[in-house]
Amino acid sequence: MPLAPPSLAPAPAGASRGLRPAAVRAGRDTLNALEQLGGGLGTALLALALLLWVLVVTLACLVGVGVLLVPGALRLVHGLADRERARLGRWGPDVLGPDAAPTSLRDPAARRELTWLAGAATGGLAWTFAGVALPVYAVRDLTFPLWWPLLPPGEDSRPWWWSVDTWTGVAAVALLGLGWAALTVGATPGMARLHARAARRLLSPPPGTDLSLRVAELTATRAAALDAHVAELRRIERSLHDGTQNRLVTTTVLLGAARRSLARDPAATDELLERAQDAAEQALAELRSVARGILPPVLVDRGLAGALSGLAASSPVPCTVDVDVPVRCPASVEATAWFVAAEAMTNVARHSGATAARVTVRLRAGRLHLAVTDDGRGGAVEGGGSGLTGVRRRVQAHDGELTLTSPPGGPTTLEVALSCGS
Amino acid sequence: MRIVIAEDDALLREGLALLLRAESLDVVATADGPDGFLAAVDEHRPDVAIVDVRMPPTHTDEGVRAAVEARRRQPELAVLVLSAYVEQAFATELLAGGARGLGYLLKERVGRVEEFLGALHRVAGGGTAIDPEVVAQLLTRSRPDAGLDRLSAREREVLALMAEGLGNAAIAARLVVTDGAVHKHIRSIFAKLDLPPTDAADRRVTAVLRYLDAVRR
Repeated sequence: MPLAPPSLAPAPAGASRGLRPAAVRAGRDTLNALEQLGGGLGTALLALALLLWVLVVTLACLVGVGVLLVPGALRLVHGLADRERARLGRWGPDVLGPDAAPTSLRDPAARRELTWLAGAATGGLAWTFAGVALPVYAVRDLTFPLWWPLLPPGEDSRPWWWSVDTWTGVAAVALLGLGWAALTVGATPGMARLHARAARRLLSPPPGTDLSLRVAELTATRAAALDAHVAELRRIERSLHDGTQNRLVTTTVLLGAARRSLARDPAATDELLERAQDAAEQALAELRSVARGILPPVLVDRGLAGALSGLAASSPVPCTVDVDVPVRCPASVEATAWFVAAEAMTNVARHSGATAARVTVRLRAGRLHLAVTDDGRGGAVEGGGSGLTGVRRRVQAHDGELTLTSPPGGPTTLEVALSCGS
Repeated sequence: MRIVIAEDDALLREGLALLLRAESLDVVATADGPDGFLAAVDEHRPDVAIVDVRMPPTHTDEGVRAAVEARRRQPELAVLVLSAYVEQAFATELLAGGARGLGYLLKERVGRVEEFLGALHRVAGGGTAIDPEVVAQLLTRSRPDAGLDRLSAREREVLALMAEGLGNAAIAARLVVTDGAVHKHIRSIFAKLDLPPTDAADRRVTAVLRYLDAVRR
């Protein structure tokens, strides 16, 4: 077990404090790994069916008629490969494939995808099946002592190839279950990693060949980044000119009026001065809000967790914040995550009618995942003054993705994944 | 003097109205956007309009366009445009219809009440009130003009101050010279620009227009 070495835990209490997070992390890693392997198993089963179809088409080719079926089969293979690319992209960096299905076997992309199909339908299937079977065996064998006595006598109750008819045998099966459980926790994360690495290798473009896709995507996101930047500067310019400056001009107008009334009507002067002071105070408040809109100081000082707690504390809707990010991300990523959360919280307070909200932040495979969920009425859409269009642009500027799930009746979840560039 | 104010910022609009009313000026209407402003001009037929450049819906140059439109409908209307910042394009657009009864000032000048009221009265009387910042910016971008090129440095200085809208006494005070010297410079400017000796006020305006024309081309 990857426990802290004794030198790092001088007091016994320290060791017990270290144990629980380690157990929680191991449990979470296992669940993530099982989710990945389960998804991989689904793909592998589809791949097996598709591989059989490809074999049928190949046989049909021998008699001539199959040639007509080749492009359709290649399209199906490409569709499944893209599905798998998207799935892998959710657990790590994006996997880029050809954007159109290859139409001929002469295309190297087609041959790569067929190679992947063959691998996924055979080795991939066995591998992911084993991964998913481990916890099933663990549960079945660990609970064996509970349901063995309930079996009607004479029923074939052997979990494995040997027959079990004594409590000693039952205990041995339970012990075996413990072994399966240990193996599940210990091996599945590695199995999921290996599986993803193999799939990625076969599904990515061959090294050094087709970077034009990536270049096109980066060009587009770069343009979006610059757009977002200009829109942001425009917003700041507006709030300075139309808000703060007007407050200051009002102050000078009232001060000017006060000076003029000093000789004429000293009684009115005090009221004018008070209004001038009010206007100056409003100017200060607006300056503060403009500055906070540029980059919240707390983000720099306290990091994302501190800044989000502040955001939650000032939200009219009760909000819990759960941030588990062991390292600091680049400042621009943290700022974007903060803006997304701030915009989402504004929408929650303004439109959702929710009674509770939750902000979750995790770091997975070099990507910062932020989710804001509320229990409101749902039905949220992009556009319509929700500010989500601006949020999407900012997110894309960071090579990120934004997903909004908001069925009528709720709940609403806004999920954002940002590339941390590490 | 009947005044209409167009300013979208409620506090500033009230502040302006309060200031002008305290000076016993007749603020007949206030508006918070270009449409309301044009309606108020049609209804009240004021002597002067004070217009903010940035107004809804886009907060760019609505005020300038509304001012130009108001002067098209009512050519005698004097307009004092207030701007958050100096933008030569705005000045050019405003001056395209002539500089008579036209003012273009930075917003913060309003706080200097005496000078602001002076500018307001000048504009209402058919004069000009161009912000020194605008004049300075226009000066640095001036294009050659045969008549203007004949002016001496001092005469150009006097002409720039005339463009700001200053009277002879004020120009004399600003340049620390006598009234007589200013008169001499101005006569020389009129001569060099070939302006025939008709009405003195008209020649003044024409000279300023010529100057602003030259710098906006």
